Amino acid sequence: MSSATSALDRTIEVVLMGGLAVSAVLLVAGLALDREVLLRWGILVLMATPVARVVVVTIGMLRERDWLFAAISVWILSVLGSSIYWAMGR
Amino acid sequence: MGAVPAGILILTGACTGLVGALLGLGGGVFLVPILTLVLGVPIRAAIAASLISVIATASASATVNLNRGLVNMRLGLVLEVATSVGGLAGGITAAHLTHRQLFITFAATLAVMGTLMAVRSGRRNVIPASSEVDPGLLGGRLREGDTTYVYRLKRLPVALVSSLVAGAISGLLGLGGGIIKVPFLNTFCGIPIRVAAATSTFMIGVTAAASAFIYFSRGDVVLPLTASVCIGALPASLLGAHLSDRVHARYLKILMAIVLLAVAARMAVAV
Repeated sequence: MSSATSALDRTIEVVLMGGLAVSAVLLVAGLALDREVLLRWGILVLMATPVARVVVVTIGMLRERDWLFAAISVWILSVLGSSIYWAMGR
Repeated sequence: MGAVPAGILILTGACTGLVGALLGLGGGVFLVPILTLVLGVPIRAAIAASLISVIATASASATVNLNRGLVNMRLGLVLEVATSVGGLAGGITAAHLTHRQLFITFAATLAVMGTLMAVRSGRRNVIPASSEVDPGLLGGRLREGDTTYVYRLKRLPVALVSSLVAGAISGLLGLGGGIIKVPFLNTFCGIPIRVAAATSTFMIGVTAAASAFIYFSRGDVVLPLTASVCIGALPASLLGAHLSDRVHARYLKILMAIVLLAVAARMAVAV
């Protein structure tokens, strides 16, 4: 495994932990203060965390000039994008 | 469901998150039965809460597994192509199934996977002769103690089809799909169970997210219920992922098989 890949691993860890931490703070505050808007945002941040992870992987693969896996990541991103598009259309 | 106190929901999320992360799953396979059968939550709300909680558990586990070098990222990306499509299709289809059909699908899925796991629990998929063996594009290396093992991916089409099915089941039933991918990758595709489980946690967030937005837009996500479960699941799954290192692979498989068959039987009785 190249050093660039392990740097990508680290970045992914940071993105995942960041998303989880922000979401946890919003959810705890939302429950404690009984504010539905905070709960809604906490859950949205949680759902967006894997999407952010795919964006990071796509950028990482492009920077490594690994075109095959960059294309694969773009495909995954487009499936997630269609899901969000479908959800927003309702 | 407003009758279930937040404390009970947080505790439930913590228990399923802990066990899920210990076994390298999202934990939805335990959460949905507990919410529906024990706490009386309607199955659609339980599935939606589980999908979101699975994202929390799997993402927390994935950070620990990435750190340990257990995640085979390229294999995960290739299989995500299938799981995300399956997840999207499952999420859209779920609206058209009745409560009873969802229950039956759930019980049948668990029974099949539990049996598979029990039957194949004694196998190992690693080749100890490390340096001369080429792991291939989607294989890899695994360190266990002082020994480095090499594994190769076998039967890519089987891995892709099982990932597609796992994604669809995830979207339909609120699981991450680890319960399907891990046994298939381990028993048919030559991936060591620890790598299969770690790579699965890496994929699960994306699989669950592919249908979570659809459930959210449909109004199936009950905010306080889902938030409570997630708050319990987050720290517990970090703990479970850290502890999973100390559990023996064979016991892991046997424990998983027992739990699956027990939950399947309980759900079949409830139908």
